[in-house]
Amino acid sequence: MARRTGAESDGLDQAIARLLTAGTYLSVALLGIGVVLMAVAGLAPRGGPAFDPARLGADLVALRPEGFLWLGLIAAIATPSARVAASLIGYLRGGERRMAGVSLLILGVIALSVLLATATEG
Amino acid sequence: MIAGGAAAGVFGSLLGLGGGILIVPLLTLVFGLDLRQAVGVSLVAVIVTSGASAGVYLQRHVANLRLGMTLELFTAVGALIGGLVAFLLSDRVLAGLFAALLMYVAATMLRRGTADEAAPPDESDSAYEPAADPPFSASLGGPGYVVRNVGFGAAGSVGAGVVSALLGIGGGLVKVPVMHVIMGVPLRVATATSNLMIGVTASASAVIYLLRGEIDPYVAGPIAIGAFVGASAGSRAAHRIDLRFLRILFVVVLLYTAVQMVRRSVGG
Repeated sequence: MARRTGAESDGLDQAIARLLTAGTYLSVALLGIGVVLMAVAGLAPRGGPAFDPARLGADLVALRPEGFLWLGLIAAIATPSARVAASLIGYLRGGERRMAGVSLLILGVIALSVLLATATEG
Repeated sequence: MIAGGAAAGVFGSLLGLGGGILIVPLLTLVFGLDLRQAVGVSLVAVIVTSGASAGVYLQRHVANLRLGMTLELFTAVGALIGGLVAFLLSDRVLAGLFAALLMYVAATMLRRGTADEAAPPDESDSAYEPAADPPFSASLGGPGYVVRNVGFGAAGSVGAGVVSALLGIGGGLVKVPVMHVIMGVPLRVATATSNLMIGVTASASAVIYLLRGEIDPYVAGPIAIGAFVGASAGSRAAHRIDLRFLRILFVVVLLYTAVQMVRRSVGG
């Protein structure tokens, strides 16, 4: 099994750092738009609408704050999983099966969380 | 609300705690949110804090990605368990648990002297090469330190995940002491690696809170933006700030909020 060198490890660290930064900036930008739209509409920071994926597109097109806020929140929540997925790819490319397995198991636990939450919703 | 999120982001990024420990009391005691909704919003802020600060710590070779990935598998399992159990407990029980945790952390911080302020790793020494076939724990170390007691670390990480999901914090309160005291990781590396891990821990339970309608977007938006600003500033200033001063300040905040949460728990 090929083993990752220090330089390759550093390369993966830097790639993960860039991914985290990009995902966080994207989510904060979307949340920022949502908060500005909240202020423009004179909405108090309480009593927002419940999450409804079916309304997301319409809310974005209509420039309703909740559309941008929900998209930003989804982007924020998805960023750590994207980071783990990127790590999985990086470890596989570096021939590190154990770390790739760890990454895969983490993704599996997160997926199980979503499935359980969906199954027990309401 | 944005300012409160920013303060939590600064503390969270500096100490590897995510900031939820301040956001939950802020939202419940100052803004009157239901505790469970506050936990849901706090989890989002923890994720943003993690993303903003971990990127910086990875670029500066302070966070340990391999160690973080390994332990976060166990914290994710714990978070899954905690996220499901949280909906079975009352607000008063959650408030009592939170108060107990705050007091425990405050006591731990007070006991710690300056002796355990390990120096940051030499950033020039990042080219570490594992031996031909080392044990798994040997591959988790970094420049200037080896990781020990991986089994205990894994067990502690499960506990950190449960605490994270129950109380809306990143779990760093447990992870940092586990890594530093039990596994022999330098304190600055432990806090930076904790910042990396807390995002995954919090996201595993945030999904559950999101789908159960316990996240108010009108609250989460301003709080998350504040947390981002605070965490970005905190992670960039971390190497210039005396952690002893921060610890003392943090202990004061912890004890104050613990008292408030006890009052809430007993209905006072």
